[in-house]
Amino acid sequence: MSDNDQAVVLYVMTHGVDEPKRCATPFYLAAAAAAMDADVSIYFTMNGPTLLQRGVGRRIGPKGERGEKLDHFIGQALDCGVKLLVCQPSLDLNDLALDDLIEGVRMIGGAAFNDMAIEADTVISF
Amino acid sequence: MTEDAVAPTQTLDVKGKACPLPVIKTAGAIKALRSGDVLEVLATDPGIESDMPAWARQTGNELVSIERIADGFRVLVRKA
Repeated sequence: MSDNDQAVVLYVMTHGVDEPKRCATPFYLAAAAAAMDADVSIYFTMNGPTLLQRGVGRRIGPKGERGEKLDHFIGQALDCGVKLLVCQPSLDLNDLALDDLIEGVRMIGGAAFNDMAIEADTVISF
Repeated sequence: MTEDAVAPTQTLDVKGKACPLPVIKTAGAIKALRSGDVLEVLATDPGIESDMPAWARQTGNELVSIERIADGFRVLVRKA
């Protein structure tokens, strides 16, 4: 628990643009957790950072051309105060730099991630 | 005071909105209210029956009632 008894929830997202059906769920679950007054972050690793590339959110959605696009779910999560985190090696794995990603994404290292996981009330990974 | 006597301060209509929007919109609306105010939420998403008790438990706001109405659900939440 953080200082004011706020629950801390950490989501880990490992899937990327090549699996659109999996792209939205972490964002909307995180948004719901933030709406429940939790302190919520999503950590993007492995293929995860590809979802945060500029332009990708307009292009893909969990139901393809039907339904909302990824941008909608990302915006909803950010509006609720969800923090988006990436790690440097997984950016490199996907030949990306932080500048290739949408605004508001923060880079953290492996030790910082583990520290967050140890301190969190719950870690949920996809 | 019976539930019927609870007069909502404000109504939030999220009929047609799917999870997680009813919860997100409820959280947003409750922030603008004062302690003791009652928010009425009108929804059609069946998930609301489990989501509202969970949301209230985590946020400390009081779930006054959830009732099924002809076109969905009517929820009353009192701000802590």
